Amino acid sequence: MGKDAWAPLVEVTRAYQFSAAHRMHNPRFSPADNARIYGRCNNPNGHGHTYRLEVTIRGRVSRQTGHVEGGPTLDAVVRAQVIQRFDRMNLDHLIAPTDGPTSTTEALVALIWRILDGALVTGQLCHLRLEETPSNFFELDRDDCPGRPDRPSRSRPTGARK
Amino acid sequence: MIRLTKRVEFCAAHSYANPAWSAEENQRVFGRCSNVHGHNYVLEVTIEGEPSPETGMVMDLKALKDVILEAVVERFDHKHLNLDLPYFKEKIPTPENLAVVIWELLEPRLPGRQELRLHRIRLYEDGSFYVDYYGERAANG
Repeated sequence: MGKDAWAPLVEVTRAYQFSAAHRMHNPRFSPADNARIYGRCNNPNGHGHTYRLEVTIRGRVSRQTGHVEGGPTLDAVVRAQVIQRFDRMNLDHLIAPTDGPTSTTEALVALIWRILDGALVTGQLCHLRLEETPSNFFELDRDDCPGRPDRPSRSRPTGARK
Repeated sequence: MIRLTKRVEFCAAHSYANPAWSAEENQRVFGRCSNVHGHNYVLEVTIEGEPSPETGMVMDLKALKDVILEAVVERFDHKHLNLDLPYFKEKIPTPENLAVVIWELLEPRLPGRQELRLHRIRLYEDGSFYVDYYGERAANG
């Protein structure tokens, strides 16, 4: 199992769950505007979700291990950097104004992208899918992924909130 | 272009070891995966193409299923990937390598129509772990 000229490029995805509370509220809006814009998500005492996160990395398969570079440590990185940080926490205390005006899942998935992109092998993070509920999910994509036609651009998170 | 996907399942055993390494090194790198164990694999085969003007189909799903059963499921189901098959004598039977082997088995067996091609192999080892392979086109591009 020595070096080989050609190594296939594959994507590896692992899925995780974490539970967290939040309240959608932009302090720059009036109470009436917050209630109108965010509806039930503006409940003063907040609400919560069991978030489901899919993390996709991309790399060439090592002849030595049969895995992509970083694959075997992906689990430890996501658990240490994301799950430990957000599980059983109030997201309103963890999402800074620079991440977004309030704790939307758009802001959260972009924050998780920045956290993981900095912690994983450079350029390896390929795709994130964050499900707020099984019906509502948000995706970010590095622009040059092979599966791109059925994926949104990194700059345009998708998903609709009821 | 339309993409259609057929999903099938198969069950197989495997273990991870690099024969160039000591037992201790294999244990350090692969951990419990160096024991013989198995998975209920779920395979999703995605075909991309234009629907035929005559049938309205990119590809008959029954024909696709038959190809997948013959090329993949009958080969791998209830087998030991390391011992029963020729594909993993030089490669470790990780889902990454298995996805590539499945691509190479399926791709030449699909109908050779210009308006149809294999888009993606997605192989789930379990509900929270899967691998995608888009072929050499993606690897070289």
